Amino acid sequence: MFRPARIPRLSQALVSRVSRVSHARGVAGTTPQLPQHALGSLPTSTSPITSKLHFFNSVMSGEKKIPTYRVIDGAGQPIEGAEVPEIDKALALKMYEHMVLLPIMDETLYNLQRQGRISFYITSFGEEAAVIGSGAALAPDDEVLAQYRESGALLFRGFTLDDIMNQCFGTYLDSSGKGKQMPAHYGSKKLHWHTISSPLATQIPQAAGVGYAIKRDPNRRGKNCAVVYFGEGAASEGDFHAGLALASTIPTPTLFIARNNGFAISTPSTEQFYGDGIASRGPGYGVHTIRVDGNDVLAVFAAVKEARRRCIDEGRAVLVETMTYRVGHHSTSDDSFAYRPRKEVEDRKRLDNPIVRFRLFLESRGWWSKEEETALVKRLRDEVNAAYKRAEKLPKPPVEEMFSEVYGGEMPWNLKEQREELKGLIKKYGQTWEPWKSELKKHKGEGKEFLE
Amino acid sequence: MASRSAFSRLVPAITRAQSARSVGARLARGYASQSGHTMTVREALNAAMEEEMLRDENVFILGEEVARYNGAYKVTKGLLDKFGEKRVVDTPITEMGFAGLAIGSAFAGLRPICEFMTFNFAMQAIDQIVNSAAKTHYMSGGVLPCPIVFRGPNGAAAGVAAQHSQCYAAWYGSIPGLKVVSPWSSEDCKGLLKAAIRDPNPVVFLENELLYGVTFPMSEEAMSDNFLLPIGKAKVEREGTDVTIVAHSKMVTHSLEAADELAKEGIKAEVINLRSIRPLDIETINKSIKKTNRLVTAEGGFPAFGVGSEICAQVIETEGFDYLDAPVERVTGADVPTPYAVNLENLTFPDTNSVIKAAKRALYRTN
Repeated sequence: MFRPARIPRLSQALVSRVSRVSHARGVAGTTPQLPQHALGSLPTSTSPITSKLHFFNSVMSGEKKIPTYRVIDGAGQPIEGAEVPEIDKALALKMYEHMVLLPIMDETLYNLQRQGRISFYITSFGEEAAVIGSGAALAPDDEVLAQYRESGALLFRGFTLDDIMNQCFGTYLDSSGKGKQMPAHYGSKKLHWHTISSPLATQIPQAAGVGYAIKRDPNRRGKNCAVVYFGEGAASEGDFHAGLALASTIPTPTLFIARNNGFAISTPSTEQFYGDGIASRGPGYGVHTIRVDGNDVLAVFAAVKEARRRCIDEGRAVLVETMTYRVGHHSTSDDSFAYRPRKEVEDRKRLDNPIVRFRLFLESRGWWSKEEETALVKRLRDEVNAAYKRAEKLPKPPVEEMFSEVYGGEMPWNLKEQREELKGLIKKYGQTWEPWKSELKKHKGEGKEFLE
Repeated sequence: MASRSAFSRLVPAITRAQSARSVGARLARGYASQSGHTMTVREALNAAMEEEMLRDENVFILGEEVARYNGAYKVTKGLLDKFGEKRVVDTPITEMGFAGLAIGSAFAGLRPICEFMTFNFAMQAIDQIVNSAAKTHYMSGGVLPCPIVFRGPNGAAAGVAAQHSQCYAAWYGSIPGLKVVSPWSSEDCKGLLKAAIRDPNPVVFLENELLYGVTFPMSEEAMSDNFLLPIGKAKVEREGTDVTIVAHSKMVTHSLEAADELAKEGIKAEVINLRSIRPLDIETINKSIKKTNRLVTAEGGFPAFGVGSEICAQVIETEGFDYLDAPVERVTGADVPTPYAVNLENLTFPDTNSVIKAAKRALYRTN
C-alpha cells in the first residue's frame, strides 16, 4: 500500500521524503544496545548470527507441537505430576452447576428456535469447561468482550435466566439492548460484559482498546484486565492479528482466550490453519502463551488464573488456547451432520465429556452424589422452562425504542422526522385499522406514546 | 449527466492545488482587516485538538505516524511534545487494528481521535467504523456510547491515482449512528473538530489534503478556545438571488470562484458550504431554493449515489421541489477510477469552470 510519505507530488511541500527504513518503528531515536558478538550484530535486531543454514517451522525446540496443559483425566483423576488448583467446594459446585445449566438452557433455546419462536440461537455444547472454567478464573469486574459462544461465563457472573430469555425473545425487559440486537448477543454494563458484535473478531482489537483504558485508569490499573474470547476460525480474521499486534506494541493488560473447538461452521480447523494452532501465533507477537485442554475445567481454570495474573502484573497481553470440540451445530442456521459423521460427534460426547469429567472429580472428593445430580437437573430444567415461558408472554419494546439511541445527545432532525411520520400513521390507523390495532398490542404501551 | 459536467471543461484549469491556494490567499486579504487573524487549515485542526486535549484528559490521539513524525501531513505537529506518549500514540500499520483499539477505548470511557493517514486506507477499518462504532450504542440500548472522531484527508489528492483519490462522504453519509463532517475553511475545521471531539457519537471528519496549507481568515470568535460550530448546520458563504450552489470541502473554493465569475455577468449566485454531510441541512438548502429557484450541487466524489444525488432526492421530496424552475444539475467527479496521468486526472475532477457552466445551464444561459 502506498503511504503519503512516499508520494512524490504532494501539493504542499510538507513531507520531505522519508523512507520507512530510516524511520523504522521501535528503533527511531534510540539505538538498541546489542550484545557484543564475535560475528557482529544486526542494525535493528538482537538476533544472534549463525553459520548454520537452518530453517524452522515450530516455536518449540525439536520441531515439536506445542503441548497441552491438563490437570485431570477422563475419570476425573489428576494426571501424573499435575497439581490440582486451589478450589473450594463452593466454587467447584458453582462451576459445576453452571456447566450443567448451560446445555439445558441451550437445548431449550435451540428447540425454541427450531419451532420458530425465536429467530436465531447459538449453543455451547461441548465447550462448557472451556467457557465456565475461564469465566470462573476472572475477577467479576474484568471487562469481557466475548464472541457469542460464551454465555456460560456470563451466567457465571450473575446474568439471570430472565436476562437471557428477555434478550432472546426481544421483550421490553431485555436488559442487554432493549430488543435491538439479535438473539444470544448479550451485554451487561453491570456485569462488565460488552455487547456481542456479530462480525467475527471485531472485538479483538477493541479489547486492546479496553485494556488501554484500564491501563490509563489509576483505579483499575494493576487490578483488572480486558478479556477477549474468540474461536479458532475468527483467529483467521485480520482483526485477530491486529489485536495481538496492538496489545503487544502498545502494552495493555489484555487477555486473549481462543476457543479452538475444531470447526468454523463446517470448516475443520485443519483447513483453517496449517501451522500449530492459535497458540503458535502468540510468540510471533511476543505474547506469553499457553495451550490448555479445554475439556478439563480445572486445567482451564488454573491456566486462565495464571494468565490473568501475568497479564495484570506485567501489563501485557497473554494468549490462552483452549482445545475443545464443538459437539453442537454451529448455530441454528447449520446442520453439522452434513459435513461430519454423527458417530464422530456421539463418540466425542461419550469419550470426552467435560461435564462428566468434572462430575467424576467432584464425586471422588465426596462433593457430589447421584441424588444431588438428579435434583439439580430437575431444578434447572424447571427454572429454564419457567423463564422462557415468562419471557414469551411479555410485550415487545415500546414503538419509541425504534428511534431512541441511534445517537447519544439530541436526536437529529432526520430521526425526528421519521418519528413524526410514524406517529402520524399510528394516529391515523392505530385504533381503527385491524392489522395495526392488533399489531400495536404486541408493543409495550401499545403505542400510546404515539397516540397522544 | 455528471460526466458531462466533468468533461465539459474546455480550458484546462490551473492545477487544483494552485487554485485552492489562491482563493485562500484572496479571502485572507479580503477579510484580514476584520480581526487580523489568519490560520492555515492545518493549524486550525492542530489548535482544535490541542485545546480539546487541554480541556479533557480523556481525549487522546492515535494513528500511524501521529506522534514522533508529527503526522504524515503534520496535522498533529507538536502534540507529542505537549502531551506525551500516553496521549499521542503511534500504532503499527493496521487500520482495522488501531480503529478497533480506539473504538474499544471509547466504549471504556475515553475520547479517542483516530487519525487515518488518508480515508482511502480507512477502507481496511470500515467494518469497525460502520458495524461497531456506529451501531453499538443502538444495539446495546444506549449502554455503550462510542464518542470518537475518525479524521484524516479525504477525496482527491494530486497525482496519486485511483486508490488514493476518492471521496467517502457518501459512504459514511448513508450510515445511521454516524455523524459525518466535511469542513472547508480554517474556521470550519476548528469549530467542527472541537464539536466533533465533544460529541457523544462517532464522527467521521473528512479533511482535504489539498486544503491543509491554505490560509483562511479567522474571526475573533474563532480564535477563542470555546469556539464550536454545530454539526448538522450548513453555512451560506455568499448570498445571492439567482442560483444556489451547494458544495462541500474543496468544491466550496471552486463554487466561490464561480460565483465571482458569474457576478461579472450579472448573475448573483448563492453559495452554501454544506459543512455536515450527516445530518444534512436540507432546511438551509430549501430556504435558498425558495429564493433562487435554481440548484446546482458541486462535489469531488463520484456521481452515483453521491452527496448531490441525496440532496436532489431530498429536495424533490420536500417543498423545495415546488420552487424549482430548472432541472437540478450535479457537478461531480467523473464516473471512472481516478487516473494518474496529469491530463487525464485534470479531466476527472470538476473545477471552477464546471460549476460556472452548470450554473449557467440552470439559468438557461448559453455557455
